[in-house]
Amino acid sequence: MKKSYIVGGLVVALAMVMAMYSFKSTLTSYVTVSEAKASKRPVQVAGIVVTGTDRYDLERNNLIFVLREDGGDEMRVEYDGPRPGNFDNVTKVVAIGKYEPKMQVFMAKELLVKCPTKYEGRVQGQ
Amino acid sequence: MINLGEVTIWLGLITIGISTACYWLVHSREDDTLALNVARYSFTGFAAFMTLASALLMFSILKHEFQYSYVANYSSRDLPLQYLISSFWAGQEGSFLLWVFLGAWLGIFLMHRSEEMEPQVMFLYNLNHLFLTILLIKQSPFKLLPSTPADGQGLNMLLQDPWMVIHPPVVFLGYAAFTIPFAYAIAALWRREYDHWIKPALPWTVFAFVSLGAGIIIGGYWSYKVLGWGGYWGWDPVENASLLPWLAGAALMHGMILQQSLGKLRKTNFILAAFSFLLIIYCTFLTRSGILADFSVHSFTDLGITGWLVFFMFFFVFITLWFFITRAREIPLSKKDAEFSYFSREFGFIGAMIILCLSAVITGLGTSAPLITRVLEKASKVSNEFYVDTNMPLALLMVLLLSFVPLLAWGKNSFSKLTRKLIWAAVGAVVSGVITLFSGYPGIAVLLLSVLAGAAVGVNLHLAIRLARKKITLSAGAVAHLGVGLMFVGIIFSSVYDSSEKVRLPQGNSHSTLGYELEFNGPEFYREPRGVRLDLPVGVKKGNTEFIARPDIRAEDSQYGQGRRFSRPHIRRGLVSDLYISPVDFEPEKEETVSAGKQLELKKQEKIQLQDYKITFVAFDVSGMMGQQNGQGVSVGADLVVSYKNGDPVKLKPVLTMGKEGNSAKPVRLPGPVEAYVSLVGIEASAGSIVLAYEGPAASQSTNTEKTPPAFIAEVSIKPGMTVLWLGTFLILVGGTIGVFRRWH
Repeated sequence: MKKSYIVGGLVVALAMVMAMYSFKSTLTSYVTVSEAKASKRPVQVAGIVVTGTDRYDLERNNLIFVLREDGGDEMRVEYDGPRPGNFDNVTKVVAIGKYEPKMQVFMAKELLVKCPTKYEGRVQGQ
Repeated sequence: MINLGEVTIWLGLITIGISTACYWLVHSREDDTLALNVARYSFTGFAAFMTLASALLMFSILKHEFQYSYVANYSSRDLPLQYLISSFWAGQEGSFLLWVFLGAWLGIFLMHRSEEMEPQVMFLYNLNHLFLTILLIKQSPFKLLPSTPADGQGLNMLLQDPWMVIHPPVVFLGYAAFTIPFAYAIAALWRREYDHWIKPALPWTVFAFVSLGAGIIIGGYWSYKVLGWGGYWGWDPVENASLLPWLAGAALMHGMILQQSLGKLRKTNFILAAFSFLLIIYCTFLTRSGILADFSVHSFTDLGITGWLVFFMFFFVFITLWFFITRAREIPLSKKDAEFSYFSREFGFIGAMIILCLSAVITGLGTSAPLITRVLEKASKVSNEFYVDTNMPLALLMVLLLSFVPLLAWGKNSFSKLTRKLIWAAVGAVVSGVITLFSGYPGIAVLLLSVLAGAAVGVNLHLAIRLARKKITLSAGAVAHLGVGLMFVGIIFSSVYDSSEKVRLPQGNSHSTLGYELEFNGPEFYREPRGVRLDLPVGVKKGNTEFIARPDIRAEDSQYGQGRRFSRPHIRRGLVSDLYISPVDFEPEKEETVSAGKQLELKKQEKIQLQDYKITFVAFDVSGMMGQQNGQGVSVGADLVVSYKNGDPVKLKPVLTMGKEGNSAKPVRLPGPVEAYVSLVGIEASAGSIVLAYEGPAASQSTNTEKTPPAFIAEVSIKPGMTVLWLGTFLILVGGTIGVFRRWH
């Protein structure tokens, strides 16, 4: 029985160490546009879609738009994935990804689209 | 005027309070039949008041009483009956009422089944409902608006789906049911009877597991069918909120079976019963306190109950710790068992429980990331890779256990006896491995997962058939485990081997992608009560099969809500793979006036109307590229097919020469009697399009337009393994349901 505790403990400890490592490396923090431009790690930025800037690039399979945050700072965002179902007139989007200084664009891996008001309104930006 | 609904909830609070207090009295004076009767009657009264409150809310919704804020927010006059009913649980307040209502009715059954443990079990069960009723008073669904609007806001279009009618009741039934093993566990500690509680609590645990599991699966199925992102699980906090207690509950279920069979794990089971219940409260706190508002696609708002939820959580943690610490020394340890073998069914059970708990803890850690990091620095969330990376090795271990542990007996097993039975594992592993490799090498971890999941399917399929022949109830575990194996096979195939392509489908042109011939038949507009629906019928052809897919885009009129747009995929299900056509965008027909000398862009295979000419751009002719060597510059031609006023089509080839002195284009005369020319002035090789210049008279006003047909931009995907995945999840529930009957004596 003693031995089994040790084995079990080892498995659990190993899993937790792995989890903590993965936790740290996949953590994306909420930053402003200017911080996002300086950051080398994946981050998330919240803002609104500047009206009329969104278009779908079929060649590159990307949704492209300009995101404007509360302070007024803007940046171009490219999202590699399907256009979220209720992308039009959303109150807020959260782009998760990394800024590419060479192309001057924020490459979003995930896009969270916030529906106005309701708790259930969910649309996956995955 | 008195608000009947709120009065009913207050009466519910009073009755549940009385019932709780009286059960406390009965605990200290067991012969007090008066107190016992009062406790029972007031609990029945509580159930009656909660039923009445639910009926009132339901009638207010059905009768469109928009003076109630909740009714105005979540329903409207034009909703059909089934969605009026589901408006009841479309918002936070209503879903709390639903939870309490279901809990109250489960309580009636519990009261009659808990026998001599009734005072303690019902006291704890009541405490939970006392708190929930307080929350219900804090966020009442019967709040009145200052003035009655003419119509309500309506139900979110995404929720207008039959699966979303039943999803919340099933989830909350599971939530309510997980209170029962907790109540039994604490009651057992209280009464100092450490084994007796397992037998009555086990069927409830299995029931809670099935119910919450069904809720999770329905949610995933809805997500796949309605949302159009092509997936079924997104590791969103709200999804995780039901997954965590479910995983912990699955561990508890196994622990209880082990204790019932061998008398082991007494302490562990107390901890697990508390853990799964506390996770429900913790997840309710996470998802309803507004704490994750910036991290989830659901916009949670804090309705002023955060403080209560935190208090509620600590209160139950305290109760658990108090009883556990004061009793820990008395709990008999399982006999020092020299026989304990690493090759036994109990070892497999313990392994599975550790895996399930680790998965719950790690997934919980990820879900809580914003909360944890908020204390340290900036609130951050983890990306989905975290969940996948950490759960992957756990899944591997899980299917490994499933591929041989079900064959083991309690106690010591001999390996030689097992080898013969492992033939089915080998068959399953080989089949799954070969199919996986045939579909493309997915990396060692996924291949291993697939092989082991196949082995689990083989073993448990054989076992399920063998046991079901003996007695159907014996097959519960095997059927559920078969489901787990199939589910993993489905997850692997649908996530590794799905292929997807975005295509632009102009009306009338057929396009082939992923082996299918697609032709967009033109948009169909329908007026709906709240907006418009745009059906996008697409003719799909492959071999002998031919059908019309109808994905659609729906838009709400802007006076309701925010002019939101929703797209719904069309799914053609197949045994091997699903064809999934999801709308990306729709480009309406464009008409532009063309003047003489106008330049226009044409994509490959695109057909346009220019003046009296129909022009189709067929292909590039790059044979002129060869000119490069003799220094004359490069020339590219564009093969066009042109017809004049519906006359016979004529092939034309304008050429663009790119030399040192710049580009030169030679105009080509268009067919027909009119003196008109077209020349190639630009090419866009990467986009596959050309720019043509037209020179000639502008035709009469009426035809002086260029028309671009409407186009449908779709994401077309082939998703293998979905049917296997749904079959697997369904079997988990079937197995669980058989388990409920097996344990229900």
